[in-house]
Order: sequence, then structure tokens, then C-alpha cells
Amino acid sequence: MALIPRRDQLPIPPKNARVHNTVCQYCNVGCGYKVYVWPVGEQGGLKPDQNAFGLDLSRAQPPLAGQSYTETMHGITVGKDGRQYHVVIVPAKDSPINRGNYSIRGGTNALTVWSLDRGTQDRLLYPLLRVGDQFQAITWQDALTLMAGLIKGIRDRDGSDDNIAVKCYDHGGSGQGFEDNYGAGKLFFTALSVKHIAIHNRPAYNSEVWGSRERGVHELNYTYEDARLADTIVLWGANPYETATVFYAEHMLPNIQGNTVAEKQKVFDRGEPAEPGYLIVIDPRKTSSYTIAETVAKDRVLLLQPNLGTDYILANAIARVIWERGYYDMAYLEARTDMKLFEEYKQKSLKLQVPYAEFMAEVERITGVPRAQIEKAADWIAKPKAGKFKRRTLTIYEKGIIWNMKNYDQVAAIVQLAVLTHNIGRPGTGCGRQGGHQEGYVRPPAPTPGSIYRGGPPVNVDKFLTDGKGKFYWVIATDPYLSTPNAQVFRKRIHERTEKLTKALGAGGEPGTIQERVKKILDVLYSDPDALFMVVQDIYMTETARDAHLILPAAAWGEANDTSINCNSRLLRLYEKFMDPPGEAKPDWEIFKWVGLRIAELYRAEGKHQEAAKFEFGKNWNTDEDVFLAGAEEFSDNRVSEEDEAKLEPENYKGVTYKFLKEVGQQGIQTPVRRDPKTGKLVGTVRRYTHKFGTSDGKFKWYGTDDWEGYPPEVAKYLEGERARQYPFWVTTGRAQTIWQTAYHDRHLPEKAMALPLPYVEVNPQDAKRLGLQSGDLVEVYNEEGNGTFMVYVTDAVKPGMLFLVMYHWRGTSNSLVSGYTDPKTTIPWYKGTRANLRKVAGAIPSVQQTASLLQQNKFD
Amino acid sequence: MTQTLSRRRFVKLTAAATALFTAGGKAQLGYAPSLTYPAVKVANVAQVKTGQPITFNYPDASAPAILVKLGKPAIGGVGPGRDIVAFSGLCTHMGCPIQYEGGRFICRCHYSMFDPAKAGQTYQGLASSWLPQIPLRIDGKGDIYAVAVAGLIWGRVKNV
Repeated sequence: MALIPRRDQLPIPPKNARVHNTVCQYCNVGCGYKVYVWPVGEQGGLKPDQNAFGLDLSRAQPPLAGQSYTETMHGITVGKDGRQYHVVIVPAKDSPINRGNYSIRGGTNALTVWSLDRGTQDRLLYPLLRVGDQFQAITWQDALTLMAGLIKGIRDRDGSDDNIAVKCYDHGGSGQGFEDNYGAGKLFFTALSVKHIAIHNRPAYNSEVWGSRERGVHELNYTYEDARLADTIVLWGANPYETATVFYAEHMLPNIQGNTVAEKQKVFDRGEPAEPGYLIVIDPRKTSSYTIAETVAKDRVLLLQPNLGTDYILANAIARVIWERGYYDMAYLEARTDMKLFEEYKQKSLKLQVPYAEFMAEVERITGVPRAQIEKAADWIAKPKAGKFKRRTLTIYEKGIIWNMKNYDQVAAIVQLAVLTHNIGRPGTGCGRQGGHQEGYVRPPAPTPGSIYRGGPPVNVDKFLTDGKGKFYWVIATDPYLSTPNAQVFRKRIHERTEKLTKALGAGGEPGTIQERVKKILDVLYSDPDALFMVVQDIYMTETARDAHLILPAAAWGEANDTSINCNSRLLRLYEKFMDPPGEAKPDWEIFKWVGLRIAELYRAEGKHQEAAKFEFGKNWNTDEDVFLAGAEEFSDNRVSEEDEAKLEPENYKGVTYKFLKEVGQQGIQTPVRRDPKTGKLVGTVRRYTHKFGTSDGKFKWYGTDDWEGYPPEVAKYLEGERARQYPFWVTTGRAQTIWQTAYHDRHLPEKAMALPLPYVEVNPQDAKRLGLQSGDLVEVYNEEGNGTFMVYVTDAVKPGMLFLVMYHWRGTSNSLVSGYTDPKTTIPWYKGTRANLRKVAGAIPSVQQTASLLQQNKFD
Repeated sequence: MTQTLSRRRFVKLTAAATALFTAGGKAQLGYAPSLTYPAVKVANVAQVKTGQPITFNYPDASAPAILVKLGKPAIGGVGPGRDIVAFSGLCTHMGCPIQYEGGRFICRCHYSMFDPAKAGQTYQGLASSWLPQIPLRIDGKGDIYAVAVAGLIWGRVKNV
């Protein structure tokens, strides 16, 4: 009777089940999980000594304190030995991060394993080659011959790698981590020199937070305990209840509820007041992170809803109030920051030359936030507590800031506000990213520039490709047809370019051998400069792979050992392999290694031994750990004192081995790791910048932000004349709890696909009434960039006149409507702001309306 | 006969949970219902008022459950309006008691919310498993019986 397959009993892991430690494959929080694997046909008993949990399963587990083992935590896979295995993945109670808690993402980890009775059976199993415009199975041997022949053929003709374009992750989690990142780095930056490389979710090779890093503050500087200790938490363009769920539920919410006061008393200075925490949410939407806190502590929560793109003006205004009210410590500023540059900050950001009342009136006009709210926020962030103790404020920002207009200035303004108030480097403070995925970056130096202040900005590779440049496009573990800005234009153009090659290959009959295919592809690429070869490396068939010529099957999470850090604590742990990759799928690092070795063979055959040696970077990589240890060599010497942690790379793990990580298990170690100069022992870094900032002289580098200059032409065009009437809505975009970070798997899981079958648009009740719309209606949302069909949710999460589109849904991506604008300082897009109109489509899709919930997601009272 | 289950009473109930299961036995992997469930009378159709939940225990004394008439058709709904449904009263996330309020089930421990009209799906929050739905049957006298549980009750490896 059930809408989706349900179970009313689950198999019990027997005493002899294999047990592995791991960390969730999904989000920034990095919750710990335990994996149990055993052959189908065997099962444990109810008594503690009869099952691998060691629990008395004849009794129900106690709520909260008990072990969660729910329907979504079990799957069945097939091993390389042809036997079926149970896979049980449950939240780890010994993880300091989640303490047995879990989210709707991690709770489904077991459903994502390759399984023959689930949608995940659609995993890619062997390389696929487009032959006669159809994907056909080929061997790895042929796939590598094709890859190597094309890459070397392009280098030989060009004398450079500039016609090779790459789109590849730079992160941890999701089956990636230090190992795969290092493999990519060695191939693309040491062997090849790929300038036209872009990161998985954006069109260039860049940091999303140069505005912070160039001040001397890496974006991961706090520890999860700071969310329990803070007097005030500021969530700026971050909605952690939906995108860092366990961090919010397990650590932030207890602080707001007053349940961490005893912990504060232990850590705070003698006589310092310790009270339940305050929460400020700064977001154009009334997010669930705000409405939950409002439900539990109405008087200690504040919502500021600035106009799109104006956050840096708001941050500077809060800082100005702080200046006017004297909520800063000049001795700290003089000791720890560059006071020469501070003058520039005072002039350009705080605008001290403009009278306060005049300044604030202008800020109100630009941001739409009332002066009284700005002043209240300043008090909550920085007003000294009774006894003149400094307030402890933790500021967490994410994509609402990063993917805002003027990325560089937005990020810089927020971190400067934190340093002005000495809210970095003390318990209960910090200013950094919430994070999206986990991290795990180690690579040789990239041949790409930094921000506009460091030789940049970097090349927009999307534009490079849509302008008709490049010949070879390698897309790795990302789906730019959904994820890149101005996606509709990008999709159509890449389709057009790849199709030119596909058609030309058919002329006169498709080549019968791989060698002939290499030759013919090269001939076409150099006779029609618009033709493009595309290879996609992924775990599933993706929207982008539709247009690929070659598809390479990659291993997923749990199918190889890997290592990553989480974002709230930089906690490094080992994610143990617990099952085989399906079919012939391989870990990414291994694919990069084999491509390199095959290219090396071609050079050796020509007697070019020196060039060949560059491509043999992986010849001694036999295990995941070999790659992990090789990567460590990129980091600087970490035999430094605690005071000098700021000089280390944020992910420095030199000296750490898999053996060490197995010993520390879920406790992990917080990067940057130091080797104590006296004892040689590995020591983690709990929180950063207590003593120095990450600059050559250790001082924070102030920056004067730009004046408000209005919107960039790509969006400003919608605000003038006829277009202002044609496209009357502001549009912002973002994520939803149910499918965020997980949609590549979720589209295969009925628990998720039935709940969010279509992309949706949030419409304010006033607008819905005026337009005759109800939740569940279908609308087309459109502008001059693109369009999509979205299901309507009527909600007060958006203000009248604003729409919210969910990002990256497989049935239509909000990015189709987003312009190609990027910040001229960083090449980071503005995914979260444009204008559009909507119209109700004729008819309905009743099956969707009958099965998908239409209830309001931000209403908890 | 609207009842509410206070948190204190819930904790007492759970603490007093008696031995639920006997031996281990072979893994059963059939879809729910794969076990033998008792038919238990919950209420009579005439007693059930729209929006007023009725709490009961099912399939045994330590398994709180909630029956509610939604006032609009629901997946698996019974009665003339096909709008009477019942679900496990334990959040599938970490076993806290859920409440029926404002047309949905909400758990106040971590704010997971479930849609009673849409098969107990998690439409917001942390619970990765949907709320177990309790299939209902109405006899000729209008008595409503709980007859099975579609979904695993939190904290158990086997519903009965």
C-alpha cells in the first residue's frame, strides 16, 4: 500500500561482519558513520554478543540516546566475487561532530551503494564510446589509447596545452579527497600545463573567498565547539538547517536554546557573563534556520533581509555603527592588523568622512534594511558584555555571500567586520565559510592566476568554450549542463560544437580502429576549429554526458580509501573502502595515473624520455595511501610552534599516515597538522589565528571596498524601460534540504524523487493571490537568458516581488535563467540574482500533485 | 476522545519497554508488511473529528501511534472522505514523539516534519526514512482497525 517500498524489519549485522569507519559522502559537516558489511544469507542475533552493534536488540532503542538504524540505512550490493552483501551504514556515536545524530542526506548513504534492486544499478560500469552516434562498450585499454592519442596529438600540433580544457572538482567528500585531487593536480599541472581549467561549480580556477584569504584569513578558521560557545551566531547567506543540518541541529540550536551555558562557563574568562546564544540571520529569504530559532527563542533572533547584492554595504554599515559606538579594542587592532591599510578601510568602507546620519540614510536606501535593525545587529555582534568583556561572535557565511554580486568585496567586508570586533581566534568566535561539500585539496601549483590583485582574474573557461576555443574538453565528476551559470546558452553551444565532431566522424564511415579514430578526430578538430571532443568521467550518465564522445566510469564513495577534512573543524579522517567499485569503474586518481602512463609510452616510443618521465608521476602509486603520502610532499615543513600555525597551508597533513588515521578513528585530527618541534608528535589546530594572521608579517591586511555602483549590465538591463515591466520579479536561487548535495544519487531514490519530483519556485502569498497561483501549480519562469518549468510553492519565505528557484534539479536548473556575469575581480558568478517573469502553464501533472508534499517548509510554529 | 502523549509519559513508556522480540532467525527482506500484525480497534468513524488526533498504541503497548482525519483525501486514507490516516508516533530520525499540529506531523527534537496526506514523507528536516504508515480497515459498524505497519518503527529492527 505504501507509495514507496517500505520495510518493517531489517537484517542484523552478525558479530563477524566487517566494520569500517567512514565519514558521510555528502556535506560540509562531515558526520561520522559506521559501515557493516556481510554476506546475504547470514544474520546476527538480538543479544549484544550476537550482533556487530553490540546492542540488545530485543528491546527498542531509547530515543535520542539510542542507535539509529532505519530503513534507509540498509542496502545490498554485489562484490567482485559475484556474491551479494548487506551494507548497513549508521551514524557513529563516537564522532564528536554528529554524536549519533544524522541528516536526511547521511541517513540515505546505504541507499546509494551500487545495488541491483535499486535505481543505483544505473551506475556506469565500463567505458563507453560514441560510435555511430550511439554509446558502445569499450575496454579501458582502448579508452586510454584514445585519450592519450588525442591529448598528445593536440600537444604535438600546438606545442602547448591551451586547447585542452578541463572541468574538475577541487573538493573532498563525494568519493573525492586528497588522493583524487593530487592525481588530478599531477596530471593537469605537472605533466600537462592546463591553463583552461575550471572548478566543478564555477567557470574558472579560483578561490571563492579571495576577499578573505588576501586579508590573511583562510575561510576555515573556527571549530565546531565555537557554535556552542558563541554569544552570538551570525548566519550570513547561509541556511545551515538545510545545508549543514547536523551542525545546526546538534551544535547551534542547543546554544540558542540555552543548553550550552555550562560549557561556556567552563571556557569563558573568570567573571564573564555566559548566557543563551543570540542568532542573527542575514538573508533575502525567511529561511528555516531563522524560523526554527524564532520558534525556540523569539527574543534572541533577528532577521535582516537586504536587497540582493547589497550585503557588503550592510556589513560596512554594521562596522560603522561599531566604530561610532566604540565597540572595538584599539590595542588589538594596533597589535594584530596593518594600521596603514586601516586608514583605507576607514575611508572607503566605513566612510568616516560622511556624517553618520547621512551615511546610514544612504545605506537604508541601498540595502532596504532599517537603520534600527542595523544598529541592533551591531549591538548583538560587538557590544561588550557586562563587566566590559568582549562579546564572542561566530560569523558563518556561504553561497548567499560567495555567489553574490561582487564576490570579492562581499567576502572582504564580512571578514573585516569580524576582525574589527576581534571575533577571530578566540573560543566562541570565528569568521568563515559554512562550506558546501567537504574539502581535500592538495596539488602542485596551478598555472592559473589569482584575483585581480594577484595577477588575475582567471580565465572564464565557459566563455572560452562558448566562444569556440579549445578542442578537447574533459569533464570530471560534475554536470555543468545543470551547474554552470547561463546554463542554457552553455548547453546549446557545447551540444552544437560536439555534434560537429560527431557528424564529421560519420562522414565516409566511422573509423574501425582506435588508432584510426584518433587520427580522424584530430583531422576534424584541426579542419573545423569549432568542433569539440568531450570526455565525461563520472559515476552515472549525466546531462552533460549526453553529448560526450567518451564516458569513463569512476569509483564512488566507499569504493576506495580516501581522506578529506570537514568545514566546521578542518577535521581530517580516513574514509575507509567498504566495497568494490561496480564493473570496471576506477578511482579518479587511478584513471589520471593510467592516462599519464599511456601518454608516457607514446613519448618513450619516440625516444622523448624526458617528456615521458613527467607523465610517469603515478608509476609508483599502487595504493590510495601512496597517493596520500605523495601529496603531503607539496606542503611546507610543519615543524612549527603553535604561534606559527598561521604560516601553514590550511590542509597541511605532513606526517599523517593511514595507520595514524585508523588509530584516531572518528576523533581525526584538525588541520593544519603540526609536528611539535620538541617532541615530533602530530598536533592538530583547534582554531586558527589566535596569535597571527596568515600574511608575511602576520598582520591582517585591510581593504577598502568599492562604493555602491548599482547592478551589472547583465541584470541592470531588466530594471529599465519595457523590460522592467516584462520581468517584474527579482529571482534568487538556492538549495532545499531534501535534495541538496545529493541529487546525483537522489534522482535514483524514490524517497527523494517522489518528494521533489520537479524543480520548484517559491512565490509569496500576495503574488500568488494576485496571479491566481496555488501550491502545486506549474509555471514557466523565464527571462532573456533562459527558462524552465517549476512547481509552485506558496510561502512567506520570499518577500512579495521575489521568486526563489531551487538549484540544479535534474528536470530543470535555475542556472538556465542566470546571467553570465562574473565578478571582474575573481571570475566568480552571481548565481543568486536575476530578474524574470512567470506564467501559469495550461493543465497540470496530477500524478505529481498527488504524491509530492506541498506543505510549507519554513513553518515550524 | 482526543489524547495527547506527554513527553514524560512517552519516556516512561519507552523505558518500560518489554522484550519485543524473540530469536534472531533468518533475515527477512520482503517489503512491509512482512510480519503478522494484530487487528486493533482504534476508534469508530463517528468519533473521529477533522483535525483532532487520536493517539493509540500499535502494534504493541510500547509503540505510540496517531490517527487523524485530515479533511482532505490522503494516500492510504479510509472513510467516506478517504481522509483518515494513522502513523507511528515516533519520529523516524531519533525516536522522539511527534505531534500532529497544523495539518502535519512535527518532531520538536530536531524539527523534522512529515506530510500525513502524502504517505508520511519527510518534507522538511533530518529524518531520512518516511514516517511508518499504519494501514486502516473499517468494518460495517464503522469501527476503524489498525491492521499493519508499513515502515520500520524507530528503534526496532523488527516491528513485531
